[in-house]
Amino acid sequence: MSSTSRKRKVVQRASPESEEELADGLLEGILSHSEDDSEEESESEHDEESDASSVIEGLSDEDEEEKDIESDEVPSDGEEDIREQLRKLRTGDSHSKRSQASGDQSWNGNAEDGLEDEEDSGRNYTVTTDANGNPRYIYKEIEPVYDSDDSDAPETTNTIGNIPLTYYDAYPHIGYDINGKKIMRPAKGEALDALLDSIDIPKGWTGLTDPATGKPLELSEEELDVLKKLTRNEVVEEGYNPYPEMVHYFSGKLEVMPLSAAPEPKRRFVPSKHEAKRVMKIVKAIREGRIQPYKPPPEDEEEELELPHYDLWADETPRPEHSMHIPAPKLPPPGYDQSYHPPPEYLPDPAEKAAWEQADEEDREKEYLPRDHEALRKVPGYERFVKEKFERCLDLYLAPRVRRNKLNIDPESLLPKLPSPEELKPFPTTCAAIFRGQEGRVRSVSIDPRGLFVASGGDDGYVRVWELLTGRQLWNAKLSDEDAVDAVRWRPNKDSAILAAAAGENIYLVVPFAILSPDVEQSSRDVLDAGWGYAASKPSTSTNGIAAKEPPARWSRPGPRLEGKGVLVQATVRSAVKVIHWHRRGDYFATVSPRGQSSAVAIHTLSKHLTQLPFRRLKGLAQSAQFHPSKPIFFVATKNSIRSYDLAKQELVKILQPGAKWISSFDVHPGGDNLIVGTYDKRLLWHDLDLSTKPYKTLRYHQQAIRAVAFHQGGMPLFADASDDGSLQIFHGKVVGDLMENATIVPLKVLKGHQVKSRLGVMDVVWHPREPWCVSAGADGTCRLWC
Amino acid sequence: MGRIKKKGTSGAAKNYITRTRAVKKLQISLPDFRRLCIFKGIYPREPRNKKKVSKGSTAATTFYYTKDIQYLLHEPLLNKFREHKSVAKKIARALGRGEVGDASRLEKTLIPKIKLDHIIKERYPTFVDALRDLDDALSMLFLFANLPSHQHVPAKTIELCQRLCLEFEHYVIASHSLRKSFLSIKGIYYQATIQGQDILWLVPYRFVQRTGGDIDFRIMGTFVEFYTTLLGFVNYRLYTSLGLVYPPKFDAKSDAHGGELGAFRLEGRGLGATEESATNGEEQKLITSAEAQAEVDKIAALAAKEQQEDEPENAVVRTEEEDTEKIDTFEVAAQDADVLPQPQASNAEVASLFAPFTFYLSRETPRAPLEFLLKAFGCKRVGWDGNLGDGAFTTDESDPSITHQIVDRPALPSESLPQVPEAPKSNGEKGKVQWPRSTMPGRTYIQPQWVWDCINQGKLLRPDLYAPGAELPPHLSPWVKGKKGEYDPTLPLAEQELEGEAEAFEDDEDEEDEEGSSDVEMAAANGTNGTNAIVDREGSVEAGEGMDVASDESDSEESDEEDAGEEFDGLDSEAESEASDADATLRRHQRELKAEFHGEKIQPVVQTKKEKNAEIRKKAEKKRKEEAEEKERQKMMLPRRKRKLLKRIEHGEDKRDKESEALRKKRRRIEKAQEAANALS
Repeated sequence: MSSTSRKRKVVQRASPESEEELADGLLEGILSHSEDDSEEESESEHDEESDASSVIEGLSDEDEEEKDIESDEVPSDGEEDIREQLRKLRTGDSHSKRSQASGDQSWNGNAEDGLEDEEDSGRNYTVTTDANGNPRYIYKEIEPVYDSDDSDAPETTNTIGNIPLTYYDAYPHIGYDINGKKIMRPAKGEALDALLDSIDIPKGWTGLTDPATGKPLELSEEELDVLKKLTRNEVVEEGYNPYPEMVHYFSGKLEVMPLSAAPEPKRRFVPSKHEAKRVMKIVKAIREGRIQPYKPPPEDEEEELELPHYDLWADETPRPEHSMHIPAPKLPPPGYDQSYHPPPEYLPDPAEKAAWEQADEEDREKEYLPRDHEALRKVPGYERFVKEKFERCLDLYLAPRVRRNKLNIDPESLLPKLPSPEELKPFPTTCAAIFRGQEGRVRSVSIDPRGLFVASGGDDGYVRVWELLTGRQLWNAKLSDEDAVDAVRWRPNKDSAILAAAAGENIYLVVPFAILSPDVEQSSRDVLDAGWGYAASKPSTSTNGIAAKEPPARWSRPGPRLEGKGVLVQATVRSAVKVIHWHRRGDYFATVSPRGQSSAVAIHTLSKHLTQLPFRRLKGLAQSAQFHPSKPIFFVATKNSIRSYDLAKQELVKILQPGAKWISSFDVHPGGDNLIVGTYDKRLLWHDLDLSTKPYKTLRYHQQAIRAVAFHQGGMPLFADASDDGSLQIFHGKVVGDLMENATIVPLKVLKGHQVKSRLGVMDVVWHPREPWCVSAGADGTCRLWC
Repeated sequence: MGRIKKKGTSGAAKNYITRTRAVKKLQISLPDFRRLCIFKGIYPREPRNKKKVSKGSTAATTFYYTKDIQYLLHEPLLNKFREHKSVAKKIARALGRGEVGDASRLEKTLIPKIKLDHIIKERYPTFVDALRDLDDALSMLFLFANLPSHQHVPAKTIELCQRLCLEFEHYVIASHSLRKSFLSIKGIYYQATIQGQDILWLVPYRFVQRTGGDIDFRIMGTFVEFYTTLLGFVNYRLYTSLGLVYPPKFDAKSDAHGGELGAFRLEGRGLGATEESATNGEEQKLITSAEAQAEVDKIAALAAKEQQEDEPENAVVRTEEEDTEKIDTFEVAAQDADVLPQPQASNAEVASLFAPFTFYLSRETPRAPLEFLLKAFGCKRVGWDGNLGDGAFTTDESDPSITHQIVDRPALPSESLPQVPEAPKSNGEKGKVQWPRSTMPGRTYIQPQWVWDCINQGKLLRPDLYAPGAELPPHLSPWVKGKKGEYDPTLPLAEQELEGEAEAFEDDEDEEDEEGSSDVEMAAANGTNGTNAIVDREGSVEAGEGMDVASDESDSEESDEEDAGEEFDGLDSEAESEASDADATLRRHQRELKAEFHGEKIQPVVQTKKEKNAEIRKKAEKKRKEEAEEKERQKMMLPRRKRKLLKRIEHGEDKRDKESEALRKKRRRIEKAQEAANALS
């Protein structure tokens, strides 16, 4: 394109201005010149565009063309060429315009002829005048002159080579001719043309498009013929005869003149020596037996198939047992129910039979149904036989084998060897007496050290003393109107009978009136009275010491009404007392009042009427406290741990962690090394103090919380617990002096009798000091003696 | 500190290998791998910790022991498989080209023959090992011996199976090693004891086997291939151990006539034929004339005589042999010495159980198992109907030497039998003696089960129980060993039931009966004065309704209430029952006193049967309860793990107990029904 544009410029310069323009003014001319130039540039571009569009729509192109013609511009060569081409394709109605245009051109050309002559001698264009009278240059085709025989090379119209034509889809041209000119895409699809084409199909019309030229492919008659033959697998050549007459070149006919006149050679008539040699060789081989006469191969291959048998185990050496080798398990031998004529009891009921038949094959316990046949001749074939054998085969090579230890344990041997119940006797089994007469719950019971009386205290505020064996009420006293009696405990000395009872914040020391023998009563009173005055003599020391603090307890006489009943001493502490525990010698007793923080645990000295608070601050909620049965050790149970303190050294000895959520009570074994703990979370824990801080056994046999636990203190290996489910459980708990042997614990008996009232069952349990009897206090208002 | 060990490089992760990996490692196809595993006896394993082995995934996979696979790598069979594969390719190519002749030649000449003897030696280093694993092999081969040929199981293999099985049976007969046999619904079980190994195999009844469904005969064929090789070598060894030549002479002609066992002829080393198994039965069949028959009889008698004459000699020889081979009994010389146990020499006795008899098998009896069993237990002369095949001692039913005839036909009265068409005279005599028209004097007629029961019990049983048409006693498996608490059908009920069980059962039954009877009575009453009855009980029953319904309801309610009461009482029931007992005695005492006071004679209190039962039952129940309580008490002290274990054991025991109880109950019912039937008749 560049060359054409350059040319165009030249043309511009060379072209003389029209008179009219010059007349208009130079400035204008300059402007117009430049304008012209730019216009031309744009024009050319525009032309290109219009060309492109012309390919697509012929009609619009035509319009453009008309515009071009009117716009009086010098058309470029390329433009011309394309127009030329287009015109060729155009139908008749555009013809008149073309002729007009050409007429213009010729006129233009004529006008300019003289001007151009000198400039270029061998000029390759003709000058005509266009419609406006301007000269118009029409260039001739450039004739490349080659001095080769290329001229008679076939006219390749398209030079793009062997590339798909689709690359040119977006362009108006479809390639370049040998001169580098675009070959424009022939307009096609023009409705009218198509219609015309369709009306009379030209000869050799195929409807195909030649990809090389883009023109419709037309085939001549001959070419079609060739194609036809090719499709029929015929020889393409015209007039080819596939079956020509046979020509007998060598016939059986004896010609008069032979082809060769040579005589027949001698060898044709003499036996061959070489052959004889070979035959002799074979004969010799046969004679020597090297060649066997042919025998058909033996038919019975069974002989071949079968291996010769020999003693495979001639030198057998046993293989050592390998742990990974698991021999296949043998199938179990058949049982009675597999018999063809089993005992009648092995035959299935109709119900069993129906169940078996209904069950899925895999769910059946046995793969067969026992069946009775009265004679051997009636036994049918077993239809699953092959299948069973096949399954066995699958098992043998497909089933993973595992060596499983069979549970061949006698279940009896698993059970621990327990002493027989006879050896464990005596233990309480039945309810022997019921102590009736309390109103509301009985909170606490206690049996006096001689084993004659039972003291009880309950919700009604009374302390009652009963005769143990008969259940007769001997004595009572109302300690408090509003508070329940939470704890009653007899002093452990046998020569006196002093009962400690707690109601609210008050602790009462009682010598029941008129039921004891006079000397016992007297000695008891003496014990209680001994303390009077000690507190009075003391104040001097206390006042000259530190400032008078409020004493932890106030000791006083309870008043004439109670004193008349035998309630002789009253000690008031800061908060309600729930548990009383006597020291073994009877001089001290400990009380626990869970609500009083620093004064929760108090130790009282009876002989001095003195109260001490051993703990300045106690971790956790105090639940219970006990003295060690032989050593100066004091146990305090808080909500979830039990601590033991050495009273002599005044230090912490051990912290037991029963792992319970809420300890309700505990008891120390008379030996002092074992401890049972009852908890509100239904557990009974046995602690061996020597063993660990964790429980040795955890027993959970109760459905409800355990309220009280008690060891038999009189040498019998018994302990009991009382629970809210209304039952007592009696255990055998034997502690052997030998450190190597653990305690044996055997559950013995569940005693039921107490009724559960408002989800409370048995509140307290105590053992008789000597006999295997125990007394329990129930929420139903009764106490029961079990023996 | 050592280097940190990488996970999955040792231990279980390395010890086990999945099947896919194994196949890849061996570079063979999956079917080839399967064959190899079957031949070599390699089986999947179950690793103890699957997660460790499969690197955390818990998908179901089969694992092999890595060393097993490693050991397969050196297997010569692997090369054979590869060769086979290449030849198979060549054959396929030839077939593709349509060169059938080439293909068949290639198949004939190039396909490698697989030999398994080295594998057998590897798998069973000692002969006893091989015997131990013979159960499956025998069952399989006996099955295949009875199967039709198949695409994957050619007729030749089946023939081979038949031959091997018969050879093995011959050995069992010759060595008298068969111990027990059992007729089950699946087939016939046999147990032989060879060199101290108990071998149990199952032979199907001779019917066409059902082979449909998802049965892969390629797998079974592989097993059969291995088992045939194994049994061949085992047979060789067994025969040579008896001094017999292996393979025994096989008479194809006799086999074609259904000779089976008789088609083989055992030969001793240098002794020639030892056993005269087959006789001239065929010739006898051909003889028709009476004279010839007589002659034949004479000959037969002679032969028998000869045999009898032969026998003592043999016996002498045998006794001598026995004398040398038998274990000497060791007598204890001094007093203070230990006595070592010695095996009993009763086997020989059992082995000659049927030796003195001549058996004849009727047409309807299964010949093969009977022949095998009888011969294995010493019987030398087994004859059968000519239809049953070749090789009989005699096919003549009227042979006087026959002592036992095995018959499996119902005994029909002779009138109902169809008339025998008038036979030619020569045949007349023969016809007369034939079962079931008449019986031969001096001959025992029995059903086949007699043979099995005799064998299992090791003695001759009363033949009258097994007479034709008689109801046979139950046939019991000889392998069930009674365990404690398990039901044993051979013992009377009374010996094995729990205390009070029978009484409980009786009560139940009585109650049922009573209910039934009361219903009947009620119904009768309704029938006679139905209107009255309705009027009487109008309060409770609506007029239109039947009486029995109402009464039933009330009964059940009462019983329900009782039940509920018992349950509610729980532990206290004991005490109560005691109390009631005490009450009863008190009342009796009072009555006695009263009687004394009135001067009457004290009538002994006659307990009714029901009361007695109830008492016994109560006692038993109490005892059981006490035991249970005691056990419960012990269990309370067990640690949890042991308690669980105990629970598992007890679960099994409970199941067994329940089963045996159900069986006892059934038996009791049956016995009762029988009694009732007897009483009626």
